[in-house]
Amino acid sequence: MRAIRAIAANTFREAIRDRILYLFIGFAVVMVLSTKLFGMLTVGDEAKIVKDIGLAAMQFSSMLIAVMMSMLLISREVDSRTVFNILAKPVRRWQFILGKYFGLVAIVAANLLFITLVLVVVVLVYTHQFDPMLIFAALMTMLEMMVLAAFATFFAVLTKPILGSLLTLAVFVIGHMSADLWLLTRQVPGAMTRVLIAVVYYLVPNLDRFNFHTEVVHDLPIPMAAVSWAGLYAAAFVGVVLLLADLRFRSKDLK
Amino acid sequence: MRVKLYGTSTEEKLTDIRLSVRDLRKTFDPGLFEAKVEVLKGLSFEVERGEIFGFLGPNGAGKTTTIKAITEIIYPDAGEIRVCGLPHTSLEAKRRVGFMTESPYVYRHLTGRESLRFCAELLELSRSGLEDRISRVLEEVGMAASGDRTMGTYSKGMLQRVALAQALLGEPELLILDEPMSGLDPVGRRDVRDIILRQAAAGATVFFSSHIIPDVETLCDRVAIVVDGTVRAIGAVRDLLSGTADRCEATFSGAEPDELTTPLLARHVGSGEAWVMVSSEHRDALIGELGEKGARLVSINPVGSTLEDLLMRHYEDVDR
Repeated sequence: MRAIRAIAANTFREAIRDRILYLFIGFAVVMVLSTKLFGMLTVGDEAKIVKDIGLAAMQFSSMLIAVMMSMLLISREVDSRTVFNILAKPVRRWQFILGKYFGLVAIVAANLLFITLVLVVVVLVYTHQFDPMLIFAALMTMLEMMVLAAFATFFAVLTKPILGSLLTLAVFVIGHMSADLWLLTRQVPGAMTRVLIAVVYYLVPNLDRFNFHTEVVHDLPIPMAAVSWAGLYAAAFVGVVLLLADLRFRSKDLK
Repeated sequence: MRVKLYGTSTEEKLTDIRLSVRDLRKTFDPGLFEAKVEVLKGLSFEVERGEIFGFLGPNGAGKTTTIKAITEIIYPDAGEIRVCGLPHTSLEAKRRVGFMTESPYVYRHLTGRESLRFCAELLELSRSGLEDRISRVLEEVGMAASGDRTMGTYSKGMLQRVALAQALLGEPELLILDEPMSGLDPVGRRDVRDIILRQAAAGATVFFSSHIIPDVETLCDRVAIVVDGTVRAIGAVRDLLSGTADRCEATFSGAEPDELTTPLLARHVGSGEAWVMVSSEHRDALIGELGEKGARLVSINPVGSTLEDLLMRHYEDVDR
C-alpha cells in the first residue's frame, strides 16, 4: 500500500507542479464563468441554462484533464525511464499501475472540486440559491472520470501518447453515444456491421449512465437504483480495465 | 589501499554468491518487417560477497540488457537470475539491491531531497530518522548543499550524484551501477570511485558496468568481459593478464634502430638512446644483434598486455 500511495502522491505532485494543469483549470473556470453570457443569449429559464452549461463545462474540462494528464503522467514516466527506478525497487508492476491511476484520479478530483465550487458560487450569485444537487452531479461526473481515467491508464501502457489520447477521447465520445449505437444495431443493414457495432456497444462503457444533468437542472426526482447501478457499473469497468492494463504492463519489456 | 572486510579467517564468506546469472538469453523483436535481435546468448557469471565486479564490453554487447534483466525492467527469454540467493523477482531480493541507471533518469519537478523521500517510501524504509539518513546520503555523494533545489536545475554530474544517492539510500547488500562514471568530470569520477570503495569497505557487493578501463583496473577485484551476448573472459584482472607478456622493450645506445635487421614492432630515438619494441620470440635475436654491433644495452624488459589490449583482442575476435 505504501508504494501505491507514494506513486500516487508523486503523480499528483508532478501534475500540480506542471503549468499545463493550470491552463486546463483556467479554461474550465472561464467556461463556467461564461455560462451567464449563454444564459443571457438563450431563451428560457436563465438559472437552468447557467446550471446546464456549467455542468457541461465541468464535465468537458474534467475529461480534458483526465485525457491529457494521463498521457503526460503515465507515458512520460515510461518514456523518460523514471519508471526504471521504481520497478528496480520492491514494487510490483500492478502497484505502479494503481499508483499512477490513483494519482490521476486525485488530480481529476481536485480539479472537479475546484470547478464545482466555482459553479456553486456562480449559481448562488445568479439565482441567490444554493443548489446541493450540483454537488451530486459533480460526484457522478467523478465516477465517469474514474472510468475514463482507467481507460486512459490502459491506453497509456498499451500504445503511444498521442494515439492513447485519441483512443481515450474516442471512448468519451462513443460512451456518450451508447443509446444511438444500440439503435444502430437494430437499424443498419448487414449482419456483419450490426455485429461490429454491437461489439463496440458492449466494449465501451455507457457514460450517459453517470449523466444526471437533466434531473439536476430541472429538479426531477433521481432514482436511487440508477445511482447505485452507476456506482457498480463504474467499479466493474474500472476493475476490468485496470486489470487489462496490468496484464499488458506486466509482460512489457521497458526500453 | 583497499580495505577488505573478508580475510582468510572468514574465507568461507567468499563463496557466498550475491549475484548469480545463469544461461541468460534474450531476443528483441523490433516489429514487423525487421529481423529479431539476439542480444544475450547464454550469458553466465557469478559475483561473490564483498567483491567489486566490473562488467566490461563494447556497445551492444548486452551489458545494459543484462542489468535490466537483473532489475526486472525487461524479462529474459530463458535463464536464471538469483540475488543474494533469492529469485531476482522476489521483493526481498529487490530490497537488497541498490540500482543506478546508465543515464540519471530523475523527476525534474522534485528536489533532490524529495526524490530520496519518494525512494524511501518505495523501499518502505522506516520514517523515523529518515531525514537524517537522507542528509547522510546527500553528504556522501557531495550534494548536501543542493539537496533542496529542484532537479530540473541540476547539471548532469549533479543528477548522476542524486541517482547514486537513491541507489545507496536503502543501504543495499548489492549495488548495481550501470556506467556510473560516464559523463562525469575527473573530480566526479574520483568521487564516484571513492564512494564505490567506501561501499565495498562497508561490506556491500558492487557490480558495475563501465567503458572507462583505468577505473575498472583500479577498482575491480574481478571483471567479466562480455562480447556479443556471452561472457568471453572472467576473473581477476591480474589473472586475465598473466601469461600475456608477448613483447619486449629494449633501450640501448651505440646503434640506430634503422640499422637493425631484427623485426621491430615500434621504435623511438631519443637523446643518445634508442628504444625499440620487439615480439618475445625476437628477444634473443635483438640482444645478439646489438652485441654484434657493439651497442650498449641499457635495459630489456618484457611487456604484458593491458586490460585494454585484452578487451580489444576479444572485440576483434568477434568482428572477424
